[in-house]
Amino acid sequence: MMQTSLYTAETTGAYKVASVPEIGLLKNLGIREGTRVSITQRYAFGGPLLLNIEDSFFVAVGKDVATQITVGRIS
Amino acid sequence: MKKKILLMGNPNVGKSIFFSELTGVHAVSSNFAGTTVDFLEGRLKIGDGEYVLIDVPGTYSLDPSSEAEAVASRLMEDGASAIICVLDASNLERNLHLAMEVMQYKIPLVFALNMADVAERQGITVNTKQLEKELGAPVVQTVAVKKQGFDELIKKLGEVLGTPVCGGSHCGKCPSCNHAESGDKWLSAKEISGRVSKKNSASPSFMDKLGMQMIRPFPGLLYAAVVLALLVVVVVFGGRMLRMPLIMLTDGLIIPMFRSLFEWLFAFFAEGDGAFSYRYLYYNDGFRTGFRVFYDGAFRAATYEAYSAAAGGFGDILLNVLIGEYGIFVISFQWIIALILPYVFSFYIGITFLEDSGYLPRISVLFDNVMRKLGVQGGSLIHVFLALGCAVPAILGSRTATTKKEKMMIAAVICFAVPCISQIGALVALMSAFSWHLSVAMLLFAMFLFVATAFVAGRVIKGRVDPLILEIPNLLMPKPKVYFRKLAIRMKHFLKDAELPMLGAVFLAALLAGTGVLAAIANQPQVQFVVSGWLGMPEEAVVSLVLGIVRREMSVAPLLLLNLTYLQAFVAGVVSLLYLPCLSVFGILAKEFKIGFAIAIFAGTVVSAILVGGFINQVAQIFL
Repeated sequence: MMQTSLYTAETTGAYKVASVPEIGLLKNLGIREGTRVSITQRYAFGGPLLLNIEDSFFVAVGKDVATQITVGRIS
Repeated sequence: MKKKILLMGNPNVGKSIFFSELTGVHAVSSNFAGTTVDFLEGRLKIGDGEYVLIDVPGTYSLDPSSEAEAVASRLMEDGASAIICVLDASNLERNLHLAMEVMQYKIPLVFALNMADVAERQGITVNTKQLEKELGAPVVQTVAVKKQGFDELIKKLGEVLGTPVCGGSHCGKCPSCNHAESGDKWLSAKEISGRVSKKNSASPSFMDKLGMQMIRPFPGLLYAAVVLALLVVVVVFGGRMLRMPLIMLTDGLIIPMFRSLFEWLFAFFAEGDGAFSYRYLYYNDGFRTGFRVFYDGAFRAATYEAYSAAAGGFGDILLNVLIGEYGIFVISFQWIIALILPYVFSFYIGITFLEDSGYLPRISVLFDNVMRKLGVQGGSLIHVFLALGCAVPAILGSRTATTKKEKMMIAAVICFAVPCISQIGALVALMSAFSWHLSVAMLLFAMFLFVATAFVAGRVIKGRVDPLILEIPNLLMPKPKVYFRKLAIRMKHFLKDAELPMLGAVFLAALLAGTGVLAAIANQPQVQFVVSGWLGMPEEAVVSLVLGIVRREMSVAPLLLLNLTYLQAFVAGVVSLLYLPCLSVFGILAKEFKIGFAIAIFAGTVVSAILVGGFINQVAQIFL
């Protein structure tokens, strides 16, 4: 499975998280290795990503975190 | 020791509504993570037992990632007789993860499966019986905002109290033990959620679609512009409309009532009632103490003794100080009820709606890119919005910040650049005497100040700010009952928290003016140099600098009685914006941070207020 940074991933299709940085809140929200994510919206000018987590809830993640998350495409 | 029951759950699952309903103690709830950052206690009766119900700050995990979450895990460590764990049915997997962490403690548990209505809207159905089996504890379906399921919850709570959770300390057979031993709680949560809930593809509801539109840049930014414009309209015009009846209330009812009361009291104690009332009338007409003395410009000569002598008695002076034209009871009621309260009320009408609907996290995401360039992150915008109401809960609320720097930056920006609604009310009143250009100039300056403060604070304060990680709640239409109750609580708090300090501040003002202390301060050459020379204000304006220490609107309100010029009004607005936040804010800064930080903020605000205000005045003088 080819891995890319979540920040540069495409807004179409779903991804599985391959690795996440050591950030407590990220982990506590359930964003961890193996979590299914898709990008609902990417914001311009260094803005965040709006992620759909497990088709269940939405989390906005700042650019600096998103670049540290790696994902692999699943569909 | 009191027997404790903990109310636990993820942020924004409706715990505070449970708490209000179960104990009658009103906790304020909103539709975003982190409204409750400190715990609240209330009494709860179950059967014959008296318990203390504790509203634990919402937490995603017992492994804390912010101060607010740390409070939750500490309370858990302290132990309890039982726990009510609230689960969000529309978001079961993540909620079950916390449930499993809680189960490890083997304290009797009842689960409340809340937001069943929202889940249903999204096509999610949860098999409660199955979930009960998986968790080995009662699960009660609730819709907290509609008060459904509470009786059942209390009944089940009564049943589990005192019942051991598992056979031995580690029986290894009950669900608690199973979950405690399972190494990967996320995986177990996912599995259980998969077994007990079904998701049918429901077509998104109107609110879901609107919620999604509001967070996308287009048309989200248009919505943001409309929402902010509406908020301004509600505050400014709503406030003005409300002023009329309230002026009638204060001038027509409250003040005459106090006047009669005091006159009666004084007449009762005075010898020779005729002479007294004559003196009072004469005095009221001819001599004026308190504020009037000050504003007459005659205050230099007006020492307390001189007035005492002229007025013919201590009683008369006191009466006038209390209820004369500029008496304590007149000014404080006029200012608080007829000037400030209308704006406070109209602001809370708007902001409470925004809070309960779940709009604030959406606007925070839209502006994260701008905020990030300023050295903070979008999530901080929520605190800024709350600070437009009052800085104290906003600074407390920033306990959800994940780093010290972020929390300090939020506090700094709030103290320097975000006026509270009381102060905004007074500023609107001051500016409305001039053309609307002045109000717009003031608004632009406030925005500039916001950017500048964030920019400077980001460089001065050491440390780092974590990037935005913010859960976006479902967009909900606020429930009228919950909404109006919250509005009522806020207004009650305002009247309680504002009226007494205001009375105190006005009393202080009357005392300082009446005793000639204010005149002495104003006559100091240094003070004259700063107030009249550098800031270009009338020398009486010194009173607002003194009183502004106590409450923010007091840095503006006394100026309403002076006939300021266009430039003076703008400079006064600038000084007031930058100037000290109130004493309560100092208290909260000292409590939440090191005292040095509080002192630095206070010194910084005073110095920058005088420097910037004076600079604007001096530059404008060159061109005028």
